[in-house]
Amino acid sequence: MKFIIQTLSLMLVCFACQFFLPWWSMAIAAFLLGYFFNNKKGQSFFAGLLGVGILWFAMAYYIDTATDSILTEKMNKLLPLNTFLLTTIIGGLVGGLATLSGSLFNKRKTSKYY
Amino acid sequence: MRFKAILSLIGTAVLVYSLNRSWNFGKPIPPLGKFLDPFHGFWKNAETKSMKPGEASLSGLSGNVSIVYDSTLIPHIYAANEEDLFFAQGYVTAKHRLWQMEFQTMAAAGRISEILGPAAVDFDRGQRRIGMVYAAQNSLNEMEKDPVLKKITERYTEGINAYITSLNYEKLPLEYKLLDYRPEPWTPLKSGLLLKYMAKTLNIGEKDFEMTNALKLFGRETIDLLFPDNEHVGDPIVDNTGNWKFKPTLIDSVAPALPKELVQIKPMEKSSPDVGSNNWAVAGSKTASGSPLLCNDPHLELNLPSIWFIIHLNAPGFNSMGASLPGAPAVISGFNDSIAWGETNAQRDLVDWYKIQFKDSSKNEYFSDGHWKPVQKVVEKISIKGNKPFFDTVVYTHHGPVTFDESYHGTNEKNHYSFRWIAHDPSKELLTFYLLNKGKNHHDYTEALNHYASPAQNFVFACVNGDIAMRIQGKYPVRRKNEGRFVLDGTKTSDEWHAFIPNDQNVMYKNPTRGFVSSANQYPVDDTYPYYVMSNHYEAYRNRRINQRLNEMNKITPQDLMNLQADNYNLKAAESLPTWLTMIDTLKLNPTEKQAYQKLKTWDYINNIESEGASYYEAWYRALYAMIWDEMQNDKLSLPYPTAYTTIKLVKEKPDLSFFDIISTPEKETAAGVVRKSFSEGVKTIETWMQQNKKSPTWADYKDSYIQHLARLEPLSYHVKHGGNNNIVNAHSKRNGPSWRMVVSLEKAGVKAWGVYPGGQSGNPGSPYYNNMIDVLTAEHYFDLHFNTSADQTKKFAVSTLTLKSNSK
Repeated sequence: MKFIIQTLSLMLVCFACQFFLPWWSMAIAAFLLGYFFNNKKGQSFFAGLLGVGILWFAMAYYIDTATDSILTEKMNKLLPLNTFLLTTIIGGLVGGLATLSGSLFNKRKTSKYY
Repeated sequence: MRFKAILSLIGTAVLVYSLNRSWNFGKPIPPLGKFLDPFHGFWKNAETKSMKPGEASLSGLSGNVSIVYDSTLIPHIYAANEEDLFFAQGYVTAKHRLWQMEFQTMAAAGRISEILGPAAVDFDRGQRRIGMVYAAQNSLNEMEKDPVLKKITERYTEGINAYITSLNYEKLPLEYKLLDYRPEPWTPLKSGLLLKYMAKTLNIGEKDFEMTNALKLFGRETIDLLFPDNEHVGDPIVDNTGNWKFKPTLIDSVAPALPKELVQIKPMEKSSPDVGSNNWAVAGSKTASGSPLLCNDPHLELNLPSIWFIIHLNAPGFNSMGASLPGAPAVISGFNDSIAWGETNAQRDLVDWYKIQFKDSSKNEYFSDGHWKPVQKVVEKISIKGNKPFFDTVVYTHHGPVTFDESYHGTNEKNHYSFRWIAHDPSKELLTFYLLNKGKNHHDYTEALNHYASPAQNFVFACVNGDIAMRIQGKYPVRRKNEGRFVLDGTKTSDEWHAFIPNDQNVMYKNPTRGFVSSANQYPVDDTYPYYVMSNHYEAYRNRRINQRLNEMNKITPQDLMNLQADNYNLKAAESLPTWLTMIDTLKLNPTEKQAYQKLKTWDYINNIESEGASYYEAWYRALYAMIWDEMQNDKLSLPYPTAYTTIKLVKEKPDLSFFDIISTPEKETAAGVVRKSFSEGVKTIETWMQQNKKSPTWADYKDSYIQHLARLEPLSYHVKHGGNNNIVNAHSKRNGPSWRMVVSLEKAGVKAWGVYPGGQSGNPGSPYYNNMIDVLTAEHYFDLHFNTSADQTKKFAVSTLTLKSNSK
């Protein structure tokens, strides 16, 4: 349950941050969420990976559909990997590591709320 | 626990850092985090056809400017005065073409290594060493002396910069994100550089070094046979025989001595001889409407983003439309309510190389008319992405820069040559275009052209009052016979340019009796013109086909002229193929050769998309040309190649010419021998092509025209199927071709116009307007260039609007 809430929160907060701030702002947000949720290591990492990964994928998918893949096709030829895959991996990896780091910084490993 | 946390944090930070910068592992990698971020990265450059109405509040405008985009994304700009108009032109051009504008001017200035790294250093050094910035600066100084021009370029610059200032990472053009850099502020010098870039494209096809070598190797007689000054074929651009009623400027008539040396310099990459153009104007007496019709069709290297940007500029006292060059204010080839104009390149030799005698290896002094004169040395700093800068010293004499030396393309060459180029001289071409944009009649056109120096152009003209005209305008040195064909002696000022042809003695005429004017890069003038005219290359075919058609046609409609622009008749083939076929012994052919022979025999000389005969002819011609001129392929020396016309003529008329012998074979070939061998070779080439491509060799597939992205990125480039070829009116070869087709009907009730080019108005590869005109052009269709007078009228067919608001109090 906590994992799901953390993942959803990550998606929401990172979405809000990235709307106004540069891409790396999501790393800071993920770090803070990792700290406050204070989940287990593995769960934190995967929450970040999924939260940001899905967010980036969804946003990219939305643009791709709205624009008839006009640029996606060209970029697929230009980049070494499929653009969706690359976008999801890069976003997810940064999100996962940042969330993990946040959780590691919080010493209190038991939560009163969950 | 703490230790792990810190380690993890450092890991995250390193990852974020490395994804926020670009890398180069043999292949450049953009900053992946930034680039892939769907909120700001490349995804954001994807666009759709529909555009929301926009508004921008900008300082620098005196009032509001209304911009209406029509369905082709052509902006129609309505401003309250000319100052706001040019500001808006700068703004809106940058909005759609910023990366291209900057990239081209950086290429002009020799700064590509800053973006692409060490691979571009040789190119950059070349640009510096022919004095591109020197030329642009000279031009700018001259422009700034003119109050009107100064104002226009400044306002245009401000408009571009207003757009650049408004950019954040998200809005940056795709290429900046990909190559990881940002635009720098625009300056009027950049506009100057852009014009010099065009000048280089259109002037640097000279072959002085090659001709010098050929003179030494083959002798004077052969040179005159292979490279006649005038091939005397077809009509000149202006035939005014016996009516040149002026007193020509005379200079010391002793022609410079011919050189007797070999030049071991690896010349710069030159513009393809396929770069050329067609234009013509037809008088009302020959048109269906009774009003003049004017056409322009510049043939240039076809790239994306496209070289032209179509624009409509409207302000009180100003109403023009047509093709503009992104980076230069006003319309370059277009029309207004009263007149229309267009350009083709006026081939004439405007480039010379002077052999310099330095006092010693320090190159501080050089010899001129018995004195040692000091040189000027300019240290060029070439910044290189990912490397230390490269410093290059360029020596300038009074002729110009010494381009080649032991460090640059001249390792085996002891002599030095100084580069004299007309584009180095102060000039203000933009004034010409500004005045043409506002021109009302033939007098205004003449006045506008008086300010035009280089690159020399054939300016076609037509007016609603019925006048048509042609003028070959440029700053032309008065030359003596043979002057400029070979390298010149730089130690004697008597070998230099002493005078220029006065503007009113340039080649021109108005309302000729034949009822039309036309130019297609052919020899410009009849034999009674009192000045020596010479170029490295005149085109012999397109002009004859165009003039033949225009002569035959009457009651001409705009559609007739569109058909003529798309004419695929291969005159070169019609004049050569029948002769060549008679030289083939059909009994000795193998089955595939027999088939090819049949295809050629039944071919109608039309280079249509589906034609197979055209492919066989082209393969044969190329094989033949290479076999005949194998003597010109020399590892140590650069040598010149004769034209197609001369080659074909020699095959017919001089079958025993020594050049027909193929050096690598023991037997001695004559014309017929080399024609037969090249036929087999051509057929083999097609066979190989068919095996590789697994399809039949239809012309468009075999030709494989390619429109390339300026950064040479394959996924952003296009292969297109189109008919035509070089030497054909529809001059679309593999890489060069129709870059802007315009047809204007100058009707008194209102000027109508149509246009198209192989690209799109948007420079963004993520926009549907990036390439939407390519298929329209290859289908030989045109867009209606809506030329109405008010913003309200234009709004009827608008896809979007953009309002620029003044935020200055």
